[in-house]
Amino acid sequence: MLKDNLDLVVRAVTPLTPRICEYLLASPEGGPLPSYEAGAHIELLVNPPGVGATVRHYSLVGGTDAASDGRQAYRIAVQREDRARGSACIHETFKVGTRLKASAPANHFALDHRDGKSLLIAGGIGITPIFSMLRSLVFRKRHFEIVYSGRSRSEMAYASEVVQLGGRHAQIYCNDESGKQLDLKALLAAQPADCTVYICGPAGLIDAARAAATALGWPAQRVRSELFTPPPTGEEVAFEVVLKQSGKTIQVGANTSILDALKNAGQFPLFDCRRGECGLCPLPVLQADGPLVHRDRYLSDEEKASGRTLCICVSRLKGSRLVLDA
Amino acid sequence: MMTIPVHVAPPVQPAKAFVFEPGGFADHSTPLILDCWYVAALSAEVSRNIISRRLLGTDVALYRTLAGESVAVRNRCPHRSFPLAKGTLDGDILQCGYHGMQFDPSGRCVNMPSLPITPGNASVRSFAVLERGPLIWIWMGDSDKADEALIPDTSWLHDPKWKSVSGAFHMKSDYISMHENLLDQTHFPFLHPGAIGTPEYARSKLDVRQEGEVIIIDRVLKNSPPPGVYGVPTGLIGRPVDRYSKARFATPALHVAFAKIVDPSPPAGAQSDYRFNITHIFTPETNGAIHYWWFNSRDFKLDDKDADDYLHAASAKAYLEDVDALEWILDVVTQDAQPQFDLNFAPDKPGLMMRRVIYDRAAAEANT
Repeated sequence: MLKDNLDLVVRAVTPLTPRICEYLLASPEGGPLPSYEAGAHIELLVNPPGVGATVRHYSLVGGTDAASDGRQAYRIAVQREDRARGSACIHETFKVGTRLKASAPANHFALDHRDGKSLLIAGGIGITPIFSMLRSLVFRKRHFEIVYSGRSRSEMAYASEVVQLGGRHAQIYCNDESGKQLDLKALLAAQPADCTVYICGPAGLIDAARAAATALGWPAQRVRSELFTPPPTGEEVAFEVVLKQSGKTIQVGANTSILDALKNAGQFPLFDCRRGECGLCPLPVLQADGPLVHRDRYLSDEEKASGRTLCICVSRLKGSRLVLDA
Repeated sequence: MMTIPVHVAPPVQPAKAFVFEPGGFADHSTPLILDCWYVAALSAEVSRNIISRRLLGTDVALYRTLAGESVAVRNRCPHRSFPLAKGTLDGDILQCGYHGMQFDPSGRCVNMPSLPITPGNASVRSFAVLERGPLIWIWMGDSDKADEALIPDTSWLHDPKWKSVSGAFHMKSDYISMHENLLDQTHFPFLHPGAIGTPEYARSKLDVRQEGEVIIIDRVLKNSPPPGVYGVPTGLIGRPVDRYSKARFATPALHVAFAKIVDPSPPAGAQSDYRFNITHIFTPETNGAIHYWWFNSRDFKLDDKDADDYLHAASAKAYLEDVDALEWILDVVTQDAQPQFDLNFAPDKPGLMMRRVIYDRAAAEANT
C-alpha cells in the first residue's frame, strides 16, 4: 500500500499532553534510516481492528531541542482524534517493540533557503513540521520568528521546547490565557518584504492566514502550508462498493478510504498522490444510493455535480451502496 | 483493473553497503561527504542559459533568476525524470521540456499544464547556493545543516589587492588522491621538475599539525634559489631567497597554499616580500571523477601581463602533470586485479591525517 516499504519498530512512547503522544520509530536492525529535511513527513500504515490497513501522514519532528535525531530515528507526535480511528488505533496499539511499515520520507513543505526571513506559524498539533523548521533555522542562524497557538498550554506539545529554542523570536498564544490574542493580520503586516510564511494547523487558521495575506496584497506563494488528506469530519459512514466488471463486493469502513478498502481486498486500482490531486484514481460511478462526498481538488465542479465519477483516494459515499464501473 | 510499472518501487534499502572500521583511512571507495559546501560552478558559468553538472553523484541544473540570483535544482523532473536543464526559463520559472511542468526557484511546482490544478506534491529539490567572488558554493547534504559560516575563506579571489590566473580540469580521479597530492610536497621535483620543486625543498623538514579538521603544513627553506614558478614572476631566479610555505587542507572541497618569498637583500626601492595564494577547489562528480578549479593569486605586479602569462602556463603545466599522474594511479588501483596495500613513509603523514579526517567525517555522516 505504500510506495516504499520501510520496516520500523517503536523504540519509545512518550505522552506529551492528555491527547498527544510522541513515538520514536527506528530501524529494527538499528541502522541509519533514509535522510529527511525540515518539513518532511512519512506515510505510516496503521491497521485499526475491524477497519483494515489504512495510510496516515505524519510530519517528522526531528528532535526535541537543538540537537537533531539525525538518521537514527523518526519522531512523530500523534493527537488522538475521537472520530479518527487511525490515531486512536496508534494510541491503543503502538507500544515499545511494535513493528510498523512506513514510506521513506517525502517533503512537500520545505523551507525556501532564499528567504530573508521565515515566519513559522503553528496551530495545535500542526507544531510537528514547524518544530523541525525551527531547529533548522536556529542551526543555520537564519532570521526567523515563530508563533505557536493552541487551546491551552497543557494541550500544546513542545510548547516549552519552542520557547527554549526560539528564545525571543518565539511567541505562544493560548485561547484560555488572558492577554493578547493572535492577530494574524497585524503579524503579517509587520513582516519585511523578503519574509515567507510557513503555516501548519487547523484549516481555519490556515484560511485566516491566507485571507490576511491576500488582504495585504501578498502574492499567494508567500504563505506556504502543508496539505495532507483532509482529516475525517466525523460524518463518515460505512458502505459497500460493488465493482461491476469484476462482480466483487467490498466493504468500506467509516474510517478507511475506498482506495484502501479496494487494496485490502486484493484489487490494484490506479492511484498515485493519495491526496485528491493527481487525477489517476477517479472511477466511473454507475449507481449511488446517497450523495457522493467529493473531497478532491482534481475534478471540476461540473464533474463533481454530475455524480458520474469519484476520486476514490479521498472521496466517499454518504449512503450504503456504491456501484463503480471497475 | 491494471497497474503500471512506475508504481512498483523496490523496498528502501538502508544505506549500509560500505562498512566503516574504526581508525580507517579514506580512499577512492569511501562514500562521498555530502554535508559540506562545495563549489558547483564558477560565477561566470551560470547565466540565463541553464547548465547541468553532476555533483556528488547527483545531477544539478544551474541558472540565474532575472534579478541575477544563482539557482541550483535537481536536474530531474519529478514526473518523468526529464533533465530540467534541457527545458527553458520563463522569467524565474524553470519549465520542463517534456510536459511543461513549471518550478519556481525554490523547487515548488507552480504549474502542471496537463492538470486542472497544480499538484502540491510535485516539488523538485532546490539546493542552497551562495556566491562568493568568482565561486558559487552549493550544499548538497542535509539542508538543515547548511550553515553559511562553514564556507571557507577565499577572499583573495575577489580582493583588488590580489591578481589571479586560473584554470579548470574535469579529471578521472578521486578527490582523496588529489588532496593527498597537494599535501605531499616530496613529489614536486620529480613530477614537476624545474617548475615548483627543488631537491633541497623536498628534503626540507616539514611541520604538520591538525587544527580541528584542518591539516596545516609549514615549511621554511632559507637561503636557496627559488623554483621557476616563484623565481620568474618575482625576478628573483637564481638568487638565494627565503621561502615560507603553508599548505592547508581546509575542507573536503578546498586546499589552499600560501607561499611567501622573501628577498633578504632587496635592491634599493624594491619590495622584499612576495606573496602567492594558490587555491585548489575540488568537487567530486562521483567517486572516480572530479571537477577541479585552480587559482594562482599574487599580491605584486598586478597589471603585469607577462607575469599572468607565465604563471598561467607554468601552473597549467604542473597541474596537468598532477591530473595525468592521478588518472594513471586510479586506473591502476581500480583495474589491476592483484591487490596491493600501498606503503607509507614519513612524508606521507599529512596525507594520512587528511585521509583520517575525511574517513571519520564520512563515517559520522553514514551513522547520524
